[in-house]
Amino acid sequence: MMFRWPSLPVAIALSVVFVALACVPFVLGPYAVKFTTRVVVLAIMVTSLDLLIGITGLVSFGHAAFFALGAYAVYFVSPESLSANALVALAAGAALAALGALVIGVFAMLTRGFYFIMVTLAAGQMVFSMFYDTNIAKGSDGAYVNVKPDLIVGGLTVLDFDNRTQFFYLCLILLATTYAFLLWLVRSRFGRSLQGIRINEQRMRALGYDTYTYRLAVFVIAGAIAGIAGALFASIDGYITPELASWRESGLAIMMVVLGGTGTLYGAVIGAFAYSVLEEILKSASTVGPFISEHWRLWMGLALAVAVLGAPRGLAGLFARKPTAGKASASIDVLHRDFARPARRAQALSTRDLTRYFGGLRAVDGVSLDLKGNLVHAIIGPNGAGKTTFINLLSGELKPNGGRVLIDDIDITGWPPHRVARSGIGRSFQRTNIFPDFSLRENCGLAAEARLPTGAAAERISHALAVAGLRDRADTTAGQLSSGEQRQLEIAMLIASGADLLLLDEPLAGMGPEETQRVVALLRDLARDHTIVLIEHDMDAVFAAADTLTVLVQGRVLAHGAPADVRGNDAVREAYLGEADAA
Amino acid sequence: MDLVLIQILNGLQYGLLIFLAASGLTLVFGILGIINLSHGSFYMLGAYAALTLTEPLGDVFRALAVGIPLAFLFGLAIEWLFIRHLYKRDHLQQVLLTFAMILIFNEVQQTIWGSHPHSIPTPPYLTASIRLTETLSYPVYRLVLTAICVALALAMVIVVQYTRVGRLIRAAESNREMVETLGFDSELLFRFVFATGVALAAAAGIIAAPVESAYPGIGDKVLIISFVVVVIGGIGSIRGAFVGALLIGLADAMGKVFLPSLASVMIYAVMALVLVLRPAGLFGRA
Repeated sequence: MMFRWPSLPVAIALSVVFVALACVPFVLGPYAVKFTTRVVVLAIMVTSLDLLIGITGLVSFGHAAFFALGAYAVYFVSPESLSANALVALAAGAALAALGALVIGVFAMLTRGFYFIMVTLAAGQMVFSMFYDTNIAKGSDGAYVNVKPDLIVGGLTVLDFDNRTQFFYLCLILLATTYAFLLWLVRSRFGRSLQGIRINEQRMRALGYDTYTYRLAVFVIAGAIAGIAGALFASIDGYITPELASWRESGLAIMMVVLGGTGTLYGAVIGAFAYSVLEEILKSASTVGPFISEHWRLWMGLALAVAVLGAPRGLAGLFARKPTAGKASASIDVLHRDFARPARRAQALSTRDLTRYFGGLRAVDGVSLDLKGNLVHAIIGPNGAGKTTFINLLSGELKPNGGRVLIDDIDITGWPPHRVARSGIGRSFQRTNIFPDFSLRENCGLAAEARLPTGAAAERISHALAVAGLRDRADTTAGQLSSGEQRQLEIAMLIASGADLLLLDEPLAGMGPEETQRVVALLRDLARDHTIVLIEHDMDAVFAAADTLTVLVQGRVLAHGAPADVRGNDAVREAYLGEADAA
Repeated sequence: MDLVLIQILNGLQYGLLIFLAASGLTLVFGILGIINLSHGSFYMLGAYAALTLTEPLGDVFRALAVGIPLAFLFGLAIEWLFIRHLYKRDHLQQVLLTFAMILIFNEVQQTIWGSHPHSIPTPPYLTASIRLTETLSYPVYRLVLTAICVALALAMVIVVQYTRVGRLIRAAESNREMVETLGFDSELLFRFVFATGVALAAAAGIIAAPVESAYPGIGDKVLIISFVVVVIGGIGSIRGAFVGALLIGLADAMGKVFLPSLASVMIYAVMALVLVLRPAGLFGRA
């Protein structure tokens, strides 16, 4: 499911909490104000981590490093016995952390999954070692910010971080601002793309998104926010240590995100408060007795273990909206042929001596083909003939060992998948490859927005759903479609993306005869404004749909031409069709 | 030159020790699919077990003989109590629960043994040093320690390569679903693998105790380095863990000679280099 606005009860609860926090200085003593300030600062940092973990799917185990960089930045800009400008201090925190995130991100974004977790963990430890083992900031003893930052405008002190109450309100406002900013960011086009990357990065790349850059950008944004939180943190006690960057702090931040509930943003705030308050309660002997407070870590650990096992979706999961129950698919859609649209010249695709080896195996061996515009080209061949490899070479998923790929006259050989997609090639995968948690409209939205402004995209989405015969199902969750309908959705996404050239890898796999007929009709219709290349095993469908037929055997073109001519070719009959007839 | 030679020996010895911890970690991740942050705690508990067991039993080798089966039983219990609930959960929850386990183990350690470092005696008959060259001598216990690590590593290779359960482990590592489909009791296999990992980490903690002593936080260092080794070697690959551990041991030891202030960064630099060249580790499948 795409990120939604918090439901009304949650919004009300958040407002109440905000007002309650704002009352803390009036009701409770200075210790409570300092404690709350610290938790609010942590909450800012943890919310930025949820942007990575819950929204983009990047489990960063080094987020504390950016927090620490922000804290150290305040030390760097503070003169020995004078105060730094508060705005400069916060900006320095954001800038140093963003720079750190950029340098680390350039490498870390090359990896995924477990390796990403470990690389960010190691990067965090490197930042820790940098401050711990060298003397750039007093080494392992930690450093003091002797005079806390303030802001003086025209002789008037506007902001003084040394004033506890004032500083508390500043932190609270910054938390609210961070939350509002992230709400906006996540619901923006950029944020929707991040959610697409979390669910299915390969598909996003094939749709034309440069996912590496998106991931790097969000990593830097989250790092900068953590840096601001770190700069605030340095101003609470005026004392910072390398431990701020250690893996334990990063682990704590992840713990707070997961405890609160990932992907909601406000869950991170709940997690930060729940964890800190629980810790504070367990530590204070007067409340829980000396036996518990002496061993508070033990009880903390047990409480967390119970929380993980008992509330797998986090504390926010207890309030979250129930996913709207999907309507059972009522009727099979008929193809909406009433959608009149003008024919349009589509691009042509050609290859010259295209070759790809895997070790000693020549999977594609010197293939030269001219696939003219506005036609349906079918590629057939026995298993292992190199059909999918050929498609992967066209779409940029694989790089050829030799030869060229051309769209009209543009040489796209060796381009990365997202760039190929942007130049007009859309592809489907052999295994259905959609965003199952998103609605059909959202699926097509991600496809359309890869290249169009949001306004134009809406129109394109309706058009695509109508052409693919899915108009009545636009708000259904994609995962609820039948497998045949999901293949149709893939085609709709390709239409929405505005691709001219559609590469379809077994679009009819797993379809019943009725669905097959529908998709064949759809393909014939699409050829009016697209060029289609499809791999297919269903021979009847191929002869019904295709304008040209190419037979690949052991990576080489055995025959190419009109279906009737190829059918009459003796070599083909022997090598391929003969076997199929016999079977 | 002698210093370099000593450091090469130290690096190999440290690498072998780390291999014992990392091999368990890589198996648990490769087969059970669990990111186990508490793996370092088992090393720590091993070191403290050596502290407690050495005195009544006489020397550290007897502590090892008693400690390994104890650790195996402890592993079975932990798997049953915590880990088995995580097989169907995502990485995040595994991180969270095993992080909570660290808190619990640390508190247990603090309660029983306190926060001061403790030294564990080297067996009296092994306190000597032997002269390797005219100017170079090396403690005997460290050589014995290295030999034990090699023996344990060999035993593991033999079990994994030539026994029925080893074949099952290798099969599960390459395709877990298939092994389950074939009708093997994966629950039992998982419990065995996890307990073995715990026993190996604890064994490393016990035999290293006379050299490294026992102190709070000793497990953290081992955990991070083991993760680095697993990533370098490729997840799930025991051979990779072996090569990675020796690489890291040597990089760490050489770093201490040539770049003392950046020694701790060296191992991460090695990891970054390996990942840029081979994103799935040296022996990992892409």
